[in-house]
Amino acid sequence: MKVIICGAGQVGWQIARHLSGENNDVTVVDFNADLVRRATDTLDVQGIVGFASYPDVLARAGARDADMIIAATHSDEVNMVTCQVAHSVFSIPRKIARLRAQSYLDAIYADLYRRDHMPIDVVISPEKEVAEAALQRLAAPATFDTESFMGGKAQLLGIVLDSDCPVLNTSLRQLSELFSTLRAIVVGVRRDERLFAPNAGDQLFAGDRIYVFSHTEDLNRTLEIFGKTTRKQERIVIVGGGNVGLAVARALEARTERMRAKIIEKSRPRAEKAADGLERTIVLNGDGMDMDVLLEAGIDRADAVLAVTDDDKTNLLVAVRAKQAGCHMAIALVNDPTLVPLMAALDIDAFINPRATTVSSILRHIRHGRVRAIYSIGDAEAEMIEAQVLSTSPLAGKLIRDTEFPEGVLVGAVMKGDKVFKPTGDLRMEEGDVIALFCMAKDVPEVERLLQVSVDFF
Amino acid sequence: MRRILELPLLVVLSGVGSLAMLLPAAHAAAFSNFVVARPFFYGAIMFFLLSVLVGIATSNFRPRLVARSQLAALVGAYIWLPILFAIPFDQAVKDTTFTNAWFEMVSSFTTTGVTQYDTPARLSPSLHLWRALVGWLGGFFVLMSAVAILAPLNLGGVEVLSGRVPGRGAKGAAQITHAAGPADRMIRHSITLFPAYFGLTLVLWVLLLMAGETGMTAFCYALSTLSTSGITNGQPMSTAAGGLLSEVLVFVFMSLALTRRSMPGAVLTDRNRPIFDDHEVRLAAFFLILVPGLLFLRHWLGALAADDVLNVRAAFNALWGGLFTTMSFLTTTGFESADWQDARQWSGLNSPGLVLVGLAMMGGGVATTAGGLKLLRVYALARHGEREMERLVHPTSIGGGGDSERQLRQGGAYVAWIFFMLYAMTFAIVVAALSLRGLGFEQSLVLTVAAVTTTGPLAVMASEVPLRMIELSLSEKLILGGAMVVGRVEILAILALLSPGVWRR
Repeated sequence: MKVIICGAGQVGWQIARHLSGENNDVTVVDFNADLVRRATDTLDVQGIVGFASYPDVLARAGARDADMIIAATHSDEVNMVTCQVAHSVFSIPRKIARLRAQSYLDAIYADLYRRDHMPIDVVISPEKEVAEAALQRLAAPATFDTESFMGGKAQLLGIVLDSDCPVLNTSLRQLSELFSTLRAIVVGVRRDERLFAPNAGDQLFAGDRIYVFSHTEDLNRTLEIFGKTTRKQERIVIVGGGNVGLAVARALEARTERMRAKIIEKSRPRAEKAADGLERTIVLNGDGMDMDVLLEAGIDRADAVLAVTDDDKTNLLVAVRAKQAGCHMAIALVNDPTLVPLMAALDIDAFINPRATTVSSILRHIRHGRVRAIYSIGDAEAEMIEAQVLSTSPLAGKLIRDTEFPEGVLVGAVMKGDKVFKPTGDLRMEEGDVIALFCMAKDVPEVERLLQVSVDFF
Repeated sequence: MRRILELPLLVVLSGVGSLAMLLPAAHAAAFSNFVVARPFFYGAIMFFLLSVLVGIATSNFRPRLVARSQLAALVGAYIWLPILFAIPFDQAVKDTTFTNAWFEMVSSFTTTGVTQYDTPARLSPSLHLWRALVGWLGGFFVLMSAVAILAPLNLGGVEVLSGRVPGRGAKGAAQITHAAGPADRMIRHSITLFPAYFGLTLVLWVLLLMAGETGMTAFCYALSTLSTSGITNGQPMSTAAGGLLSEVLVFVFMSLALTRRSMPGAVLTDRNRPIFDDHEVRLAAFFLILVPGLLFLRHWLGALAADDVLNVRAAFNALWGGLFTTMSFLTTTGFESADWQDARQWSGLNSPGLVLVGLAMMGGGVATTAGGLKLLRVYALARHGEREMERLVHPTSIGGGGDSERQLRQGGAYVAWIFFMLYAMTFAIVVAALSLRGLGFEQSLVLTVAAVTTTGPLAVMASEVPLRMIELSLSEKLILGGAMVVGRVEILAILALLSPGVWRR
């Protein structure tokens, strides 16, 4: 498939990385020659320097025979115009644009993106997705990673096993016999920096970071079994009042249960903007690393700190500082995936990778078959794929035990109608069912083959 | 029209003022009261001719700074026009001194409305008409000068919103005002304002007539409601023939003076906000609920003691009396509801006049006909205080609400505070001056508040023993007259005029 990616910044580069890794013909367009060079140097992509919305630049990028265009420049308007040009001049069939401004995202104006108005097939809003991820982390404080699937009926939880976890040194087969009513399954284990899909005979050890796919109703029970207690989050400190921090605070304000959030933002204009957009939340103007400011925000009594500035190192340091000051939980936003191994060493409870969330949401629209959700795990080591079983798929009508999944693939859950079932050997997958699959990166093409029918489905 | 309005403002105002004398002249002539008609008719002719002559003589007058000269004319108008208005009045009322006539006219033109002739029959109806008319013209002059003269100079309440130095125009405004001078602004704002002001007066008059008032009384009520002067033709509002219906009508039209948005072409209005979200409207609503509520509660407790709690009608009257009078004094009009004093019969408690002093000091909206400190300044100070309280808890916190709100709380509150201090100093000086002339402290205070906030009837209502203006000495009248002008023009405008930069050439 031929894909043009406009904008070679964080998101653009990461999508290019994913797509080029999957044998797509990728062209990156950016008016900053350095960014284009960075992309062409590190990835197997072509680069064009120029303004993404100019038709001649798009023509040079090969828009005439492109299958898809992803407009992810920093300007909403450029992204919109790029999609319009791609549609009107080059008739590119699929157009994805990243839009940030709240007004463009309002559901009331969603009509704007119809084919005969401003033809954008998919609107992606990274800040919104990251904010959602942050909220999910807050909702499940004992986990280091969460993502919801199947319309919120199932959840992927990342749990660190402590030495006091009651189910250590027990094989997974024994576990599922012990807790036969529990609708949860361990889909991935990371041991000594290596991620793998466990077999029934594998045991869990202290220090393992496991991924559990659980029915939402069994969430708390699952956490209990793995030795985690849920505590109520009431006081939250958000460091960084940019789009992400603001979106999280807004969502917290909108909640019915009373949560008291405080935002610390260094830049005064941005702090003012945040204060304007919020009602109850207190916005402090100061350095998030400054102890006085942190104490003013009540960090010593806070249930959680959320470090979401645009600087990874600041986020890490703020999280460490907050934990030292007495905060119970620290969540840091980390763009650079190579920093992730630091989390455990620094005692940071959870991290949000905006890349993972944004890339997941864009990937969802690129994959073949009826893929409904994709979540990228770790440093693109594995994916959680939620997809619909089509009549033409080799999976349809088969029992799970009869299906030949590759070694690195596990079924997390099967949803029939609107009921979610735990996968057992004698469960039959039928047309229209939704399955959630954990699969290692190397097995993605094989899973795609199992799910896919033809390119037409999108 | 343009040629005329380009003449010095004072000349134009004199011309309009002298033409206005034709109305009482015609009224008196229609009632064959030629003793009154004559001085007004001659006055109209004489002063109009004089204005024309001066107009011709000054037609080439080009002031160095047009905006400043307009400001000077604004202050000058309050000194010269009362004298002009007083001359025929003095001639028509034989048994009075010119000072009394002047005081009466200052009181009318500044929309204060305090009168020395408290026995109704003392003046003929035409003269009452003249007083009310002068008040009405004064009200229009205030509205007009607020948008056309004070707003471009960043005065008259606009400074709280704009965050610029009072007395200076906007940055780069000179480029525009060069082409679109004050004359253009005058024409434009007259065209938008006058029909509304005139039309609303007419509507209120007709409605009051329908409510059962006699023609003259209704006309005076209408004129003085729109201009918030509170002048009547000797029949106080509390004895109005229309009763409750008249009061409701007047109440509705008084509310126009709560916000500048009620008149077209107002300055610096945030049209994005619905009118009920306007700061001044909200603050006014707060006081309109709080004050009558407290007064009602007080009466109710009194009635509890008097065992008359279940008298629903009396209770309603007490509530309405409180509401009407609160509105009336908040807009610095000074009408008193018939039920205000009746409430005492229900509860046996006196209606407190001191509350009214506080309300009048607060005043109505900026750039309306109301006087006083103005609601917008009170709001800015209140929000500033609230914000400072928040900052005690979170010293580095940032307040929300948008740029304009932040400006209002910081720069706006600062300017409002300066204004409040000047305002308080004015009170102190006038009270001291009156006390030195031998008036008692309470009397001086009430008179000062009545004069500076341009709420004349307060002088009678707020003190235990009603004051009689006619008994004041010459010097006291001069002091009060000056205080009215200072209160009306707003001391900040006078200071802007007197700033050293202006007299140094």
